[in-house]
Amino acid sequence: MGIEILTVVLLLCILVFFALGAQVGLALGGIAMAVGYMTWGDGIFNVIPTTLEATYFSFILLAIPLYIYMGQLLTKSGIGDAMFNFSQMIIGRVRGSLAISVIGVCSMIGAMVGIIGAGIMTSGSIALRPMLERGYNKRLALGVIMAGGGLGILIPPSIPMIMFAASTQNSVGRMFLGAMVPALLTVVLMILYVVISCKLNPDRAPRDIDNKDIVKLEGRAKFKIARDGLFSILLIVAVLGSIISGIATPTESGAIGVVGALILAIMFKRFKLDMFLHSGFQTATLVSVAMWIIFGASVFSNFHLLMGVQSMVAGFTASLDLPPIMIIIMFQLIMLLLGFIIDEFIIVLMCAPLFTPIAVSLGYDPIWFGVLMIINILIAVQTPPYGFALFYLKGIAPAGIGMSEIYRSVTPFILLNLTVLILCMLFPDIVLWLPNLVMN
Amino acid sequence: MFEKILKTICCTIDWVVRQAGLLASFIMPLLAFVVAFEVFSRYVLSSPTIWAFDLSLFMFGYLAALGGAYAQQKRAHINVDILYLKVSHKTRCVFNLVSFSLAIFFLVIIVMMSYGKYEEAIEFDYRRQSEWAPPMFHFWIMMMIAGGLFIAQLARDMMAELFFILTSKVLIEETQ
Amino acid sequence: ADLSAAEHNWRFSNLYGRGTAFGEVYESLAKNIETKSEGRIKVQVLYSGEGVGTSGLLGAVKSGLVTMGAPFQSMHAGELPAGVVEIGLPGGTDDPAELQALFHDKGWDKVLTKAYGSQGLVWLEPYIQPPVYILTKQEIKSAEDFKGLKIRAPGAYGKFLRNLGASPVSLSWSEIYTSLATGVIDGSIGSNMIDHRDGNHVEVAKYMYKLPLAGAQVLPVIVNRSAWKKLPEELQAVVQEATEQHAADQLRLSKKWESEAVAEMEAKGLLWSPEPSDVDRKAWAAAGAGLWDEYAAQDKYSKELIDILRNSK
Ligand code: NA
Ligand code: NA
Repeated sequence: MGIEILTVVLLLCILVFFALGAQVGLALGGIAMAVGYMTWGDGIFNVIPTTLEATYFSFILLAIPLYIYMGQLLTKSGIGDAMFNFSQMIIGRVRGSLAISVIGVCSMIGAMVGIIGAGIMTSGSIALRPMLERGYNKRLALGVIMAGGGLGILIPPSIPMIMFAASTQNSVGRMFLGAMVPALLTVVLMILYVVISCKLNPDRAPRDIDNKDIVKLEGRAKFKIARDGLFSILLIVAVLGSIISGIATPTESGAIGVVGALILAIMFKRFKLDMFLHSGFQTATLVSVAMWIIFGASVFSNFHLLMGVQSMVAGFTASLDLPPIMIIIMFQLIMLLLGFIIDEFIIVLMCAPLFTPIAVSLGYDPIWFGVLMIINILIAVQTPPYGFALFYLKGIAPAGIGMSEIYRSVTPFILLNLTVLILCMLFPDIVLWLPNLVMN
Repeated sequence: MFEKILKTICCTIDWVVRQAGLLASFIMPLLAFVVAFEVFSRYVLSSPTIWAFDLSLFMFGYLAALGGAYAQQKRAHINVDILYLKVSHKTRCVFNLVSFSLAIFFLVIIVMMSYGKYEEAIEFDYRRQSEWAPPMFHFWIMMMIAGGLFIAQLARDMMAELFFILTSKVLIEETQ
Repeated sequence: ADLSAAEHNWRFSNLYGRGTAFGEVYESLAKNIETKSEGRIKVQVLYSGEGVGTSGLLGAVKSGLVTMGAPFQSMHAGELPAGVVEIGLPGGTDDPAELQALFHDKGWDKVLTKAYGSQGLVWLEPYIQPPVYILTKQEIKSAEDFKGLKIRAPGAYGKFLRNLGASPVSLSWSEIYTSLATGVIDGSIGSNMIDHRDGNHVEVAKYMYKLPLAGAQVLPVIVNRSAWKKLPEELQAVVQEATEQHAADQLRLSKKWESEAVAEMEAKGLLWSPEPSDVDRKAWAAAGAGLWDEYAAQDKYSKELIDILRNSK
């Protein structure tokens, strides 16, 4: 079987088993092993131990449990809610203000974590419930979490950016700076979208003052919320500070956040054994879910790579004979298509060294091209059927929210990402202005 | 009588899997503590440990793998449910039988390969590459247990689905 | 490519990324095997992360998932300890002629053939890559300055730095850059100068120390035993010959690339810490010598290698 046919067979199998409602990770692994057995023989089973070790002994992925745990502790102790209650006390009269606070918090989380999973699941743990409880439209709430969590790879530090820079021998610093303005642009567009869509459909984002169920707070209660809210914001600032000041790596600072959340909970007498056990339980489940997906998907992509999918992409790339800007657009399309069956790390691993030299030889700036690639994979992980961000979001969403609901909630935000991608493509200075200013 | 035996088997599996889930959840605070201790030891005491790195990775692996079966019990694993939610309960049972079979096939391979790696790890005294060099064999034992529990949970779920297809009765009411 | 056309279809994994200069040397080893075998062996090259992670390479060749591999032995210290001695313990030589003698006349080849053979692997002609250097944020004026520095250095290199009074730190490769930038660590080793360049670490840490941790790194090319046995003798000879050619290419090119990488980093602001004094050199040698006994005690093949090394001094 040629690699082209194999790829089609794998894609069909994915569609069939996804339609049957199979668990994503186990289905991907099972499909790879079944198809692998038929094309390769039982030798392919040996991909399992090496993939197991590579997945579970990844210090980068360790950010997932640590940050989710921090998020769960903050939520279950009520400190996380206090943060949003506090922000509502100040800007609650603006319609959609809670979503805007959430975007702000997500941006800060994005500045702590460098991978999609940690970004979405941490943001979701902390910020989803406050929005749903206040009667926010489910789709708006989920979309904001997805887009906000995705900022994890767009705002430095970002693991895919480091991978891109290393595999194309470019400056990590320039890459980080290059993504800053596009990230800011994304945040601004997100806020604009929230404000405008809430203006048009006021029922999507009810205000506290219009809600009779929410009791007006007085004196002591107000003080308590302000105090807890301020401290939880301080905790997030402290975690960020521990990264910037060199106390801990981004991964490790998740643990600092955990300790900080525990201290706050004890200080404010919100610590209960039940809350503590429940947070651990919830985190363990979320982490297992995420890791079994990552493991199954890695088995799948490792099999696909061993069969030579990268040669197929390389061959196709070499045969492109188009005007320069068309080639760049073609590259974006290829990556978006690969996003149907391949995860973000593999896309960078495979496409960065293949595409970047060509882009450079056509006269384009590699940093610009790299930032396009990062925005592109940000879109790829949010597009069905195979989109890690979608899976993570479903993992964190309350029971009863189906995948079609998730697809619909992320669509407007994917369009925002696409807008940023196109703007950066048309106006390279959005990317290049800041690094040129700072580093030249 | 037969139904009672089935129920007993299911409840036993549920109980064992829940214990594994509990164990996984107890690892979480310890894991956070180990990583935080490394930061403390390096930054405050200026003496990084040689064990925190590998220990935290082992704990992460245990936590993530062992929780898998319990997540299945809770139906927490992610699926694309666009068609799945639209079909009848019986059709859904059939869907589950198909996808759980594929999952069990995958998990059986994991258990088999982990056993092979366990034997190798014992024969050659495989360790992590770090200075601390902790042994690897227990990781493979854990993977066998994690895979085995996952298989047991899926088999139990398949039994319940089959029971429903044949009798139109729910074997065990979901507790939560 | 039609995989079924050849008699033997091999997969060859290495540690370098697609499109890198080293990646191309492995690519030409593959091409060489194909040409010299007149197409009877077809070799598909897999780059870093393509199907097998860097730490899984030894296991993958052992199990036959990939047929041939060019692993980095420090990654496999826990699986095949002798590989760490093979790569070169701190304090080892960098003279290619001396290494050639050690490997081919004094008997390291026989010990390593046994060591790899015990795990179902065939050990072919090893090759020399440039040595490991330490990059630090602060200038190192004397070896004393290493005291208390947090330096990212795995395994044997970590032990060596501990002997010098530094504090070795374990970090994943992709966190080195940010950790140097923010000051989580004060320095980091790289697998060679090219690795330092690719990681852009010089943007956030400027000072390179002049003494390498080991003179040169010797890395093996290994083949899965059952795949090897399937080859008729004339094809085994072809593969062996191609790896010898590869070793010569590596020696010639890696020197060139190392100096290119250094030049590029110097252009970006790399500075050298001052020339080490005699006292520093002694401290350096002492830190390395302390490790020999430790490694000899750990593993029987390591002991045989170290005994030969001692006798040849
Ligand atoms: Na980030
Ligand atoms: Na996708």
